[in-house]
Amino acid sequence: MGGFLLRKAGAALIVVFLSSIVVFIGIRALPGDPAVALGAENRDPAVMAAIRHSYGLDKPLPVQYVKWISKALRGDLGLDSRQLPVGHTIVTRLPITLELAFLAILIGTVIGVLAGVIAAVRRGKLSDHTATASALVGLSVPHFWLGLMMIIAFAVDLHWLPASGYVSFRAHPIGNLEHLLMPSLVLGTGLSAVLMRQTRSAMLNSLSADYVRTARAKGLSERVVIGKHALRNSLITVTTVVGLQLGALISGAVITEQIFVIPGFGRLTLDAVNERDYTLLQGVVLVAATGYVVVNLLVDVAYSLLNPRIRVTGATNQ
Amino acid sequence: MKVSIRRFASLALVAACVAALVAAVAAARTTRSSADIKNGGTLTIGLAEEPDALDPTLARTFVGRIVFLAMCEKLYDLDSHLNIVPQLATALPQVSKDKLTYTIKVRNGVKFNDGTTFNAAAVKTTLERDLTFKGSVRASEISPINSVDAPNATTVVLHLKAPYSPLTAQLADRAGMILSPKALASGGTFAQNPVCVGPFMFKDRVAGDHITLVKSPYYYDKAKVHLASVVYRIMTDPSSRTQALRAGDIQVEDRIQSTDVPTLQKDSAITVKKAITIGYQGLTINIGNKNGLLKPYSNVGTDIAKSQFIRTAFDAALDRTTINKVVFGGLNQPDCYPIAPVSPWYKPTTKGLACDLHANVNLAKQLVKASGIANPTVSLMLGGTDPVNARLGQVIQSMESAAGIKVSVTPTQFTTALNRADAGTFEAFAVGWSGRVDPDGNIFGFVATPGTLNDSGFTNSKLDYILNGARKSLTTKSRTTLYRAAMQIIHRQRPLIYLYHPVNYYGVTKKVDGVQIYGDGLIRINNAGYTK
Repeated sequence: MGGFLLRKAGAALIVVFLSSIVVFIGIRALPGDPAVALGAENRDPAVMAAIRHSYGLDKPLPVQYVKWISKALRGDLGLDSRQLPVGHTIVTRLPITLELAFLAILIGTVIGVLAGVIAAVRRGKLSDHTATASALVGLSVPHFWLGLMMIIAFAVDLHWLPASGYVSFRAHPIGNLEHLLMPSLVLGTGLSAVLMRQTRSAMLNSLSADYVRTARAKGLSERVVIGKHALRNSLITVTTVVGLQLGALISGAVITEQIFVIPGFGRLTLDAVNERDYTLLQGVVLVAATGYVVVNLLVDVAYSLLNPRIRVTGATNQ
Repeated sequence: MKVSIRRFASLALVAACVAALVAAVAAARTTRSSADIKNGGTLTIGLAEEPDALDPTLARTFVGRIVFLAMCEKLYDLDSHLNIVPQLATALPQVSKDKLTYTIKVRNGVKFNDGTTFNAAAVKTTLERDLTFKGSVRASEISPINSVDAPNATTVVLHLKAPYSPLTAQLADRAGMILSPKALASGGTFAQNPVCVGPFMFKDRVAGDHITLVKSPYYYDKAKVHLASVVYRIMTDPSSRTQALRAGDIQVEDRIQSTDVPTLQKDSAITVKKAITIGYQGLTINIGNKNGLLKPYSNVGTDIAKSQFIRTAFDAALDRTTINKVVFGGLNQPDCYPIAPVSPWYKPTTKGLACDLHANVNLAKQLVKASGIANPTVSLMLGGTDPVNARLGQVIQSMESAAGIKVSVTPTQFTTALNRADAGTFEAFAVGWSGRVDPDGNIFGFVATPGTLNDSGFTNSKLDYILNGARKSLTTKSRTTLYRAAMQIIHRQRPLIYLYHPVNYYGVTKKVDGVQIYGDGLIRINNAGYTK
C-alpha cells in the first residue's frame, strides 16, 4: 500500500509541475500585453516600463517562471494588481464557490431524484409528462436568464431575498442561506434536470428487473419495493452522474457568481482573465489544477482501499 | 409711450419679485434638504469595475478615483463647474515670474486618519515618493517638478525644471493626494492599509467583493459627514447592479447601462442622475504611425492617411446625431471637440469653430472625388467585441457607404486593440478617453509629436509649438487662444475625428440625499446621508 501511495503521489507531483508550466505559458499566450491592460489609460513608456518591471515581465520567461514557482513552493503566490496577496484572496474565495456547489448539488439531487422516481413510478401519466417537460426546460434555460428572472421576482418585486452579494455562514447563518438560495437554485436547476432523467431511466430499468418482481411476489409493500430495492440500485447511477457533474457545476458557477455578485472562485478567475492580472491568474489556475490532481489522487486511494485488486493490478502493470 | 414704459417697469418689478420668491423657495428647499439628512447608516455603492491598488502613487483606474475621493483628500479639488479649488491647500499656488517656482500654502490643524499631523513635510514626503517610487504612475504626471521644499509647516515650494501650467490640475487628482508619512514608514504595503486625510478611513477590502470605509474621527470637517460607513461593492455585471439597486441591496449605482436607464427613470423610488463627462469618444486615424508609438513617424500610405480630402469626407459623411440616436438611444452628447461642454474651457476654445452634427453626403462625395482616389477603403478597428461597438461599426459603415467610402469593420478585444494601436497596425480605431480637467490632458498626449498616446502618429510642428506654448503659458486668456488655434489645426488635419462625449447615468435611491456627480464622472458622497 505504501509503495502504491508513493507512486501515485509522485505521479501527481509530476502532473502539478507540468500543469504549472502549461499555466505559465498558456497565460502568456493570451492576446494583449498585460502592461497595457494594467496601465489602464496610462500608456506612457515610462509607466509601461515600471509596470513590466514591477511584475517581472521585463525578465526572460524561464527567469520569470523560476522566480514564480520557487515563491509558490514556499506558499507565496505574490501580490496581484491591487497589491493584495494572491494566496489570501484564493483562500478567502474558494470556500464560497464550494459552498455554492454543495448547496446546488443538494438542491439538484433532492429535486432531480424525487422527480425521477415519481416520473418512473407513474410512467405515461400526467406527472411523468410534467416532470419530463420540466427537465427539458431546466436543461434548456440559460443560467443568466433564469437568475435575472428570479432576481426580478424574489428580490425586486417581492423583496423576499437579497438580489446579490454574500455573507459568510459564520457571520450570519440565516443571511448566508438567504444570499445563496437563489444562486444555488439556479445552479442546481440544470443538475436536477440531468438527475431527473438519469433517475427515471435507472428506475425504469430497476422496476422491470427480476429482483423487483420477486420482491413484489414476496408481498412487500410498494413503498419498500420502490424505496429499498429499485431506488437503492438506481442511486449508483445517480451518484456517478453527480460526481461527473461536479466539474461542470464549478465552471457553471462563474456565470451564477457573476449574476448574483458572489465573490467566489469563478468570478475571481473571470476578473483575473479580463484584467490580464498574470499573478492572480497563475495563482488561481495553479490552485485549481492542484485541486483536481489532489482529488484524483484521493479517488485513486479510495478505490484502492475499497477494491484491493486495483492496487494489485496497478502494481502488476508497473 | 409713457404708459408702456410704466407697464414694462411694473412687469419687470413683478418678474423680479417672482424670481426672488423662486430663489427663496429654492434656497429654503436646499436648506431643508440638508437639515433633513440624519447621521449614521451605511451607504452601499455598486461599482462598475474593481479599483486597482488603493495607493495613489500606483493607482491607475478611473473607478479607484471614486473610492479615493472619500478617503484621500488632495491639495486641490474641483467644484461643480470643474473649476480647480483648494482642498488641503488654502489657496491656488503662487507662481513665480519665471513660472518655475510654485508656492503652496496648506491647511493647519489637519490630521491624517491615523491621528498624525498633516503638514508641509508630509506633502514633501508624498510628492517625493510619487516622483521616485518604483512603479509610480504619478512620476510622469508631475515630472516637471525638480525638487520639493517645506520651509515651514504650512508652506510647500515646488521647483520646476520647466514651466508647466497643467501642474495645478495634476495636483487636483491622485498626484495631489497626501499620504500619511507614518503609514508609509510602517514598512507594509500601503495599498493594504491606506491612510490619508479624508472624511472616511479605510476599514477593509475583500478582493473582488467590497471595500469598506468608516467615518473618520480625525477629519477636520467631520460635522458635515453624516454616514457612519460606506461600502463599495464590486458589481461588474450591469444588469445585476441595476437589479440590486431596485431591490435595495445598494443605494447608489455607478454607471447604469443605457438599456436600463428608461426602467430606472420610471422607478419612483430611484433618482437617475445624469453627468455629461469630460471624456470623449472618437476615431483615431493612423496617419504616420508606421513603426510604432513614439518611433519616427512617416505616412502609412493608406487612403485615409495619405489624403486629407478622404479624412474630411469621412467626417462629413458621419451623422453624429443619428449615431447617438441609433447606437446609444440618444443618451450621449454628440460633438466635434476633445473638450466637453461641461468644461469651463469649452465655450472660449470652440467659439466660432464649425461643428456639423449632421451628415453632409454631397460634400463628402465631392471631397472623395477631389481626392483622386477611386473607391477609397478604410479598415475600422473597434475597441471591443460587444453589441454596442458592433452597432457603432455598422452605422459608420452604412454612413460612409453613402459617400462612396467602403469601410470594413474589425471588432477587437480592447487590450489587443490598444496593442495594435500602439504598434500602428490599424487604419482607424474607434476608442475613447475618460477626459481630464485641463485641456492639455485631452489634447497634448494624442496629437503632439512627443505625445505618449499619439497612436495616430501625427506630427505637425506648428501644433507642437502651440501646445508647448499652452503648457508654458499661465493666463487663462493666452491658453484659451492657443487651444483654440490647436483645435483649428486638429479639425483641419483630422488625426482624430471626435464623435461624442459620453453621458453617464447614476442611480440613487430616494432615501439618500447629498450624492453629487460632477462632469468628472466621480461619485461624491462625503456629505451624503439618509433622509429623516
